[in-house]
Amino acid sequence: MEQLIQTIIIGLANGLQYALVALGYTLVYGIIELINFAHGDLFMLGSMIALGLFFLLGVTSSTPIAQAGLLILLIIALTMIATATINWSIERVAYRPLRNAPKLAPLISAIGMSFVLQNIGLLAAGPANKGFENVVPNTNILTTLLGIQTSIEFTYKQLFVAVVTIPLLVGLTWFVSRTRQGKAMRATAQDPDTAGLMGIDVNRTISLTFLIGGALAGAAGVVQILFNNATVWNLGFRFGLNSFTSAVLGGIGNLQGAVVGAIILGLINAFSDRYLSANWTNAIVFAVLITILVFRPTGLLGQQLAERA
Amino acid sequence: MTADARYVIRASDPVRSGPAGWLDQVTAAARRAPVAYREQLARRRRRTIAITILALLFVLYPLINTLLLQPLVRSGVPLPVPDDTVATFMLIFAAMAIGLNIVAGFAGLLDLGYVAFYALGAYTAAFFASPHFASLSLVLFSEVAPGYPGIHVPFFVIVPLAALIAATFGVLLGAPTLRLRGDYLAIVTLGFGEIVPVVFKNLVGINFQLGPIKLENANLTGGAVGINPIDPPSFFGIDFGATSGQAAVYLAMVIVALSVIIARNLERSRMGRAWMAIREDELAAEMMGVNTVRTKLLAFGLGASFAGVAGSLQASYLGATTSDFFQFSTSILVLIMIILGGIGNIWGVMAGALALVYVDKTFLPWIAQRVQAINSDLPNAAQFNFLIFGIILVIMMRFRPEGFIPSRQRAAELRHAPPGQQIGSAATLGEDAVKSEETSQAIAAEQAAEPDA
Repeated sequence: MEQLIQTIIIGLANGLQYALVALGYTLVYGIIELINFAHGDLFMLGSMIALGLFFLLGVTSSTPIAQAGLLILLIIALTMIATATINWSIERVAYRPLRNAPKLAPLISAIGMSFVLQNIGLLAAGPANKGFENVVPNTNILTTLLGIQTSIEFTYKQLFVAVVTIPLLVGLTWFVSRTRQGKAMRATAQDPDTAGLMGIDVNRTISLTFLIGGALAGAAGVVQILFNNATVWNLGFRFGLNSFTSAVLGGIGNLQGAVVGAIILGLINAFSDRYLSANWTNAIVFAVLITILVFRPTGLLGQQLAERA
Repeated sequence: MTADARYVIRASDPVRSGPAGWLDQVTAAARRAPVAYREQLARRRRRTIAITILALLFVLYPLINTLLLQPLVRSGVPLPVPDDTVATFMLIFAAMAIGLNIVAGFAGLLDLGYVAFYALGAYTAAFFASPHFASLSLVLFSEVAPGYPGIHVPFFVIVPLAALIAATFGVLLGAPTLRLRGDYLAIVTLGFGEIVPVVFKNLVGINFQLGPIKLENANLTGGAVGINPIDPPSFFGIDFGATSGQAAVYLAMVIVALSVIIARNLERSRMGRAWMAIREDELAAEMMGVNTVRTKLLAFGLGASFAGVAGSLQASYLGATTSDFFQFSTSILVLIMIILGGIGNIWGVMAGALALVYVDKTFLPWIAQRVQAINSDLPNAAQFNFLIFGIILVIMMRFRPEGFIPSRQRAAELRHAPPGQQIGSAATLGEDAVKSEETSQAIAAEQAAEPDA
């Protein structure tokens, strides 16, 4: 029983991280039907920018809690701005000129961008893993703070992941469903031509989508550095693949679907690691994905889209 | 003799169906080849001569390389010459590119896990021509001594076997995914490409019992180490393995030549036109009577078989295989080859494969060597091969999305988006509609003429 709860905790912490990146995939796909292959690598760059900022601002494990907390907030904000800007520029350079081209062209362009970003990471940090220390402590809240006698571990790190990701997820949902700009995004996703005729600036809305997706990837990058204490130039590939899989699992283009898919994927990962073998985890993840798509071709929460003529 | 005598069906021409008919066609074409060549020469003199010289150079390259270029390089002349190993791999990837072109180029089904079939081919060679299953001793017509441990089947059996196994898995993957459209299909194939190497990596120490079959700590795939040694390809006592130098290049050349012939014939067949109809507009093609299920499955199966053959050649040539050879990046690399070369055009994708492997394995390391000789602190160009490919891809998509040697039809499609995707361009709209209508009508007419096929 305790093992089960432990696995669920690990799975949820992983899933929330996937959710941040998966939302970037699903937002972009929903609005311009593009698998943004470069998104995982943007997350990797985010983690590297965050690492650089941590060194620059001298945050270490011995920094006093209040000061460290404020600095972490600052770093999250700065990284989000940086990755949002990068993502916005990528859209301008690599995708916008191909707006009217067939779908294959921007997809290939995205793969090209992904290579470029990976190599920027390689140039910046070298081929080896870059490690970092535990700024957020890895101690168990349940035993040290609450004094409960249990073998279940719920660490400050895992709490930190929840504290960062959940407000962002709620904020994004609010933004898309309640604000004027969010309405414009939904309209553009449904039908860009008609949205344009109704007075929505389609290009600006798409840029905004890339800004938001990039910002979320940046936040995920900071979480990655503080939770897993490491980053490397090809980190984005595996992580991005898992996040994209979660977006597809939940029904790509659907925001709630991406979060649900990410949490399911995190749980599958954790259960497979614990009860089967970590060697098989990747195969299991994709086997589940294929099985779900066979029975629900548009993912768990995806709605049937009308075939575009 | 009229200019189009080649295309006239003569009374003496055999009319058989299936593989026998295909063989007849090939022999008939071979018989007519000298005449056709003379006609070509009369009609387009310069172009024909240029192509002939190119083809001869291609065939003679390994000889020129051993006799002339390699001694030059050894004597200190700086030339970026691919050695025999690189040349063999250029050709292996050319066969893969031709196969992926069938799936992605002809039928328009984006396959991001093509490496899976390459792996299946390689492991077919590893299972059937190595001492791996030492408890079995099964030497069939092979040039290994009888009684040698393991299964040993000769290379000319391995190749069709690898093609068959890869094609079977291609159809198995295709079957459940036919309902999926576009990007969902891409991600499922990607997933398959990730699963296959993981399975090959982890099928060690298997304990399993089912009736009379009992496995105890069985090592099926060699795990992370993989399987070696694998028998080198050999015919009549001649070795075509990695140590054979130019012999291997010629073997790979023969396999690529056969791939080209098969792919050309497929492209011009009824099936080929059906693939193109599906690519242009699946709904319209279906309405015109194209059996989309069968057509797509055949595209997957046939496309996969090319990668199976390439994989079996690779494993036999290297004499070893491990699951680490078969990563997502290989799938992407083959995709880049066909995009750069010109998706849909067999010659284009072949050129793309040859060029990309050459640049990756010979040219960039050569450049890197020059640069580092000047100053060892400068970045190593070979390490940033994917940066260069990435930039090329982005620029290509912007200015020449159809690739360097495009297929005329694909170029038109890529330049002008199909109706519905492009806003307010009546001229292209009409053009595209007419084009796909023509293709679909041609297929429908043919299917009406041969209802039994």
